[in-house]
Amino acid sequence: MIRTGRGAALLAALAAGSLALAACGGGGDGSSPNELRLWHYEAPDSAMGVAWKQAIEEFERTHPGVKVKFEEKGFEQIQKTAPMVLNSKDAPDILEYNKGNATAGLLSRQGLLEDMTDEVVKRGWDKLLSPNIAVTSKYDAKGVMGGDRWFGVPNYAEYVLLYYNKDLFAKHGVKVPTDYDELLRAMDQFVAKGVTPLANAGAEVMAQHYIYQLALDKADRAWVDAYQRYTGKADLTDAAWTAGATTFADWVKKGYIAKSSVSLKAEDAGVAFMQGKFPMMYSGTWWFGRVAKEARFDWDTMLWPGGSMSPGSGGNLWVIPKGSKNKKLAYDFIDITMKKNIQNALGDAGGVPVAADPSAIKDPKVKRLIENFDALAKNNGLAYYPDWPVPGFYDKWVSAGQKLMNGDSPGEVLGALKKDYDSGVPK
Amino acid sequence: MSAGDATTSATTTATTTAAARAAAAPPAGARRPARRPRRRRRGPSAYAVLVGMAALAGIMLIPFVVVVFNALKTPAEYTANGPLAPPEGLYLGGMRDFWERVGFGRVLFNSFLISASVAVGAVLLSVLNAYALGIGRVKGRMWVLVALLMANTLPQEALVYPLFYLSKQVGLYDTRLGVIIVFTVIQSAFGTYLLSSVLSTFPRPLLEAARIDGAGRWQILWRVVVPVVRPTLSVLLVFFFIWTWNEFLIPLVFLQSNDNQTVSVALGVLHGQRLMDATMSSAAALLGLIPTVVFFLVFQRTLSRGLTAGAIK
Repeated sequence: MIRTGRGAALLAALAAGSLALAACGGGGDGSSPNELRLWHYEAPDSAMGVAWKQAIEEFERTHPGVKVKFEEKGFEQIQKTAPMVLNSKDAPDILEYNKGNATAGLLSRQGLLEDMTDEVVKRGWDKLLSPNIAVTSKYDAKGVMGGDRWFGVPNYAEYVLLYYNKDLFAKHGVKVPTDYDELLRAMDQFVAKGVTPLANAGAEVMAQHYIYQLALDKADRAWVDAYQRYTGKADLTDAAWTAGATTFADWVKKGYIAKSSVSLKAEDAGVAFMQGKFPMMYSGTWWFGRVAKEARFDWDTMLWPGGSMSPGSGGNLWVIPKGSKNKKLAYDFIDITMKKNIQNALGDAGGVPVAADPSAIKDPKVKRLIENFDALAKNNGLAYYPDWPVPGFYDKWVSAGQKLMNGDSPGEVLGALKKDYDSGVPK
Repeated sequence: MSAGDATTSATTTATTTAAARAAAAPPAGARRPARRPRRRRRGPSAYAVLVGMAALAGIMLIPFVVVVFNALKTPAEYTANGPLAPPEGLYLGGMRDFWERVGFGRVLFNSFLISASVAVGAVLLSVLNAYALGIGRVKGRMWVLVALLMANTLPQEALVYPLFYLSKQVGLYDTRLGVIIVFTVIQSAFGTYLLSSVLSTFPRPLLEAARIDGAGRWQILWRVVVPVVRPTLSVLLVFFFIWTWNEFLIPLVFLQSNDNQTVSVALGVLHGQRLMDATMSSAAALLGLIPTVVFFLVFQRTLSRGLTAGAIK
């Protein structure tokens, strides 16, 4: 009996103690004129992480007495909780947020984001960002991108490009392609030697990038705008889409793309490329830093051979919550991130800056990465991503890619996509 | 209730939960007479079961092994040899970097504080509820249990928004106390359900004897009922602790500032938009896993001791 009594007392003491401890852990609302509360979700060793760390240091140097309280968040965390956080008094003064209709567009429509238009014009950021990039920063009253009001500013951009393993090309005696026909010839040569030329991941974004790119090869800017920004009637069974889907299915049949990659994740495909198992990988600039650090062979990147448009867009945005109490400081911070030295630092670390000076970049691979992007953006060649126009389209695209790889007819697959697109497009 | 909590480090938490579930049988079995005499004569079928269990345990350990392998690899090794190869050397940089990046000491303290408070609070609440429902036999107890069962099956996603507005109203948003209250209630719903059925089969003569000796309701609860069901309570305590430790969604939504974050939320920082850092994620998962395993092992001994004590009575 005595033992039991002691146990119960211990239990009660533990409960009381822990509750008391918990009670003193309340957070204040944290608004102080001498503190800029900043959130972002880039890894510290990524290009943005490096550049923004430098920007924070510069901000504190140029704003004596003001401290930046930076909190690193997870991407999922911001995605899931932003609407709630921005609606509470605990909102930060400035944060990185995902661009697009379903994210920044939605929050702008709900009135949770500050309309930055006046400051953007006053500080001249609109001149630094080419119109092609600025599309994802500007939203209309319905929250659709490409509108007339600025709700965010990107520091970087991203696009999909061809990574290639020079050592494998040399080993198999294949010439590095410069246009579409040469690409086909090179892939035939690799297949003849028993090497699968293209890395692919059917369970994630990679397959849809191939399909979209192959459709873009047969399309023009008006086609992209109709599909992405609803400026006209988009038909998912038209000639360009049919060509894209048919060619992709054909490439799987010919062995350019391994049929077994149907269930692979992007991580698997990227690692396989970095292990030197594939001569080419068509994926985004987000791989660049990692390939640069980990690939143990000679490699480089190029735009899609013979293409004038590629998937790509401005990067994620700096947005200012409507409830931010330090808007002036937040604008000052964005201003610093748009300066040449920070932008160059972003480039040096392997990112794609939006307002850098390419001549100041030393690494030849990074230089090519940035020059290729500038060429693409100047030609109005950023075609965004295929899953953007309709909410929940990403999963539909993944399954469409997998069906094509499994041998379903392109007509049927596109027909199903068309139905989803037509019912999902805002009226 | 912890079905949806395995979002981060899915494999590892799934394994702990599965192991926990598999071990959930003892409280019921403990009440049966001891099986000691049978131990001497072990037939071939018993050995077959033993081998089968060993194989099953081995399969359960595979995800742990993969996590440990990757936690000790450099990112370059991971890229070169793939996720399944054993590490070439002992690389602790991933763990060190993660520890510093999220301030793991503080995160660990938060998780411990929340889980321990919830475990203790939920067990207390469950005992009180179950005493009324199982032994007190209050009117309409059937419907109370049905309501609790339904509350248990409700996905947490459905609770998040209402709870968010409530906690904002009372000023508990972004406090650990808010999360503790929410989980104490959620866990005790399950605890009440389980304990009520345990207590409804409580030997009546014991209660009557206590009453004849002049014990009041309060005394019967603490001096008779609790000591007898203590093994079950210890098991509940351990499970509540581990379940709360692994919770993801509600801490993610409720604990905004990094100062209040828990381990499972901190692990989410490593999942980028496009890329994941496999080696650091594994290192982090291992760091997050060790405390629960240690907790489980420590309490495993108390459990078996409490178990035999219950059997003698």
